[in-house]
Amino acid sequence: MIRLVVLLVALLAACTSEPQPPLVVSDVVVTRPMPGMKMSAAYLSLANNSNEVIRITRVASAQYESVQLHETTIEDGVARMRAIPVLEIAAGETVTLQRGGKHLMLMRPTSASDTVTLQFLDGDDLLLTVDATFEPRTN
Amino acid sequence: MGPKNVLFAVVLAAALALGVIVATRVQSPAELHSAFVLPTPTPLPEFALVDQRGQGITREAFRDHWSLVFFGFTHCPDICPTTLQILSAARKTLADNGQQPLPKIVLVSVDPERDTPELMAQYMAYFGDDNLGITGTLDEVKKLTTGLGIYFAKQPGNEESYAVDHSAAVLLVNPDAEFHALFGGSHQIESFVKDVPLIMDAF
Repeated sequence: MIRLVVLLVALLAACTSEPQPPLVVSDVVVTRPMPGMKMSAAYLSLANNSNEVIRITRVASAQYESVQLHETTIEDGVARMRAIPVLEIAAGETVTLQRGGKHLMLMRPTSASDTVTLQFLDGDDLLLTVDATFEPRTN
Repeated sequence: MGPKNVLFAVVLAAALALGVIVATRVQSPAELHSAFVLPTPTPLPEFALVDQRGQGITREAFRDHWSLVFFGFTHCPDICPTTLQILSAARKTLADNGQQPLPKIVLVSVDPERDTPELMAQYMAYFGDDNLGITGTLDEVKKLTTGLGIYFAKQPGNEESYAVDHSAAVLLVNPDAEFHALFGGSHQIESFVKDVPLIMDAF
């Protein structure tokens, strides 16, 4: 059944004229900096529609001096945050960056803009550019 | 973490686990969602710290109200604001449900070097107006955390970006200033909304 669905999806994809890009982003949320703080977190899903593994070795932003790939883990009741040197997305897989898990840490803003541009790179190869805005204020 | 700390952590974990097993058998309301009620509430250790207004604060500040206490730091973009938002949302739901009394949300900084009272004031204001942000000297913070079995450790990095590993638990402190129940991470709003009134009613 799954194969049939995959086949149908593939057929549908073949019918459309525009080829699907290899890396597709969705559900982008960039947190508004906490009062007094100069850092934000970004959460999103990255889908690899290609037949090869996609590696993201760094993320850049025009509005931040530093963007780091981080992961929060809770092991034995202790929350830890560590840098992820390379984010690998297997062929056909989706990696989700979410609260309490993998996330982007944005540091040292260079502007007061609510707009954030994120560039995902493999070395010097630009894979994807994402435009986002801060999430609405909740309080 | 040195060998002594590891040993301490292991002994503490075993003690907590045992306490949890005993507690769930003896005293916890059967329908608790995720909290572990201690078989015997533990008095908070003595400490001398400051609140977000720069006023001196001791364990006496925990008397006459319930508190949900989280240990974190302001330079933490992910788990700390997420947890405080969960606590804040849970408190709002409890208020909407007519729950009285409401627990006070408390953040104890595990990064007192960077977390000045001024920074704590700005940060805590985001999560409501009746909460408590506690910071001070590292030694005094450790008096509080060590006595409660809360672990934290500063990680390598520059002044701006270093992280602090810390226990993810939220502690429920009763109006006698005693550690009464524990919520392990990862946290959900529902856990607090369901369990806090049950624990308060049983007190």
